[in-house]
Amino acid sequence: MAEDLVLDRAIRDWVLIPLSVVMVLIGFLRYFVSKLMRSYQTPDRKVVKEGQVVLRARNLRVAAGFIPTKSFWSRRVYFTNEENGLLHVPKEQAQNPQAQMFSDPNMAMDMMKKNISMIVPQTLTFTWVNFFFSGFVAAKIPFPLTHRFRGMLQNGIDLSTVDVSYVSGRSWYFLNLFGLRGLFSLILGEENATDDAQRMMQMGGFGFDPTKSLSAEKDSLDIIQHEWILPKMEKRAEDVLKKLLK
Amino acid sequence: MAGEGDLRTSAKESEDDLPILNAENLQSNIKSVYYSRTFLSIIGGVVAGIWGFTGLTGFVFYFLVMAVASLGLAAKAKFSVNKYFDSWNRILIDGVFGGLMSFVLSWAFAYDIVHIF
Repeated sequence: MAEDLVLDRAIRDWVLIPLSVVMVLIGFLRYFVSKLMRSYQTPDRKVVKEGQVVLRARNLRVAAGFIPTKSFWSRRVYFTNEENGLLHVPKEQAQNPQAQMFSDPNMAMDMMKKNISMIVPQTLTFTWVNFFFSGFVAAKIPFPLTHRFRGMLQNGIDLSTVDVSYVSGRSWYFLNLFGLRGLFSLILGEENATDDAQRMMQMGGFGFDPTKSLSAEKDSLDIIQHEWILPKMEKRAEDVLKKLLK
Repeated sequence: MAGEGDLRTSAKESEDDLPILNAENLQSNIKSVYYSRTFLSIIGGVVAGIWGFTGLTGFVFYFLVMAVASLGLAAKAKFSVNKYFDSWNRILIDGVFGGLMSFVLSWAFAYDIVHIF
């Protein structure tokens, strides 16, 4: 049943290689276009300020052991004090960023632009592939799959006796789509516009962050048990020296 | 303590009991592990295709390559994971399945070009 098909060499030259090359080039194009279109995005001053405050509070929390107890408490009061502490956010303000994010035209435009720059090239390439490269066997994948995948992988080929390993152009497109992500991350530096889920998460977390992280920082600052490590340092120095001298 | 050659920089500070990790260095170490794994998946895929592995053998070969990569990375980190990473999982397990798709792509590509061409 699994006889070896002999496939025309021209298929290699005119289907596999051009399709891969086109997808790589489109990936580059998308990367550069998104880089160019990202230029006008001035961050909101308030958001930046809050981000910096959160950073300061976090540094205080992490390095709490290095300063004496009284100075830690005075710093903590500065941050978490009810009247004018930096981390204390009045309740009415907490709702704002959420509403702001959805009604802010800039944000919505940005999200739409990024969605479009992702979806349009994919749709166009898919249509092109379907138009040109359907109806014949394009490649053989080196591992066997069950018969249920036949409908998915062999969309143009209507013979049911052909081995499921012989796939059509559309499945070569999907294989490229997923496989080239790794290649892009190698060539183009950090993870770029080729990963949908990651970018959706990034976009979602932008506007909500300030208020939630402020109250989170405040809570974590409040529960710290401060312990100054200087008294212990002499003992530790003694231990280290003893170990060295052994 | 900067590593020679690649971008490995020590993520830990000098005290041994306080587990402080320098976040930037940890991030850069993780990224370099990811790059090595992706590169190795692609090369492994081409090798598997040229050698004509089919079916399960190919996947076994992939996991073999990943295991050798983990061994190499652990050796480069001098087998003391706390100096460069925060847990063993980062060197051993992270990125193994991410590289699988690149491996399959280059495997199919090389196999087709060499054996069915």
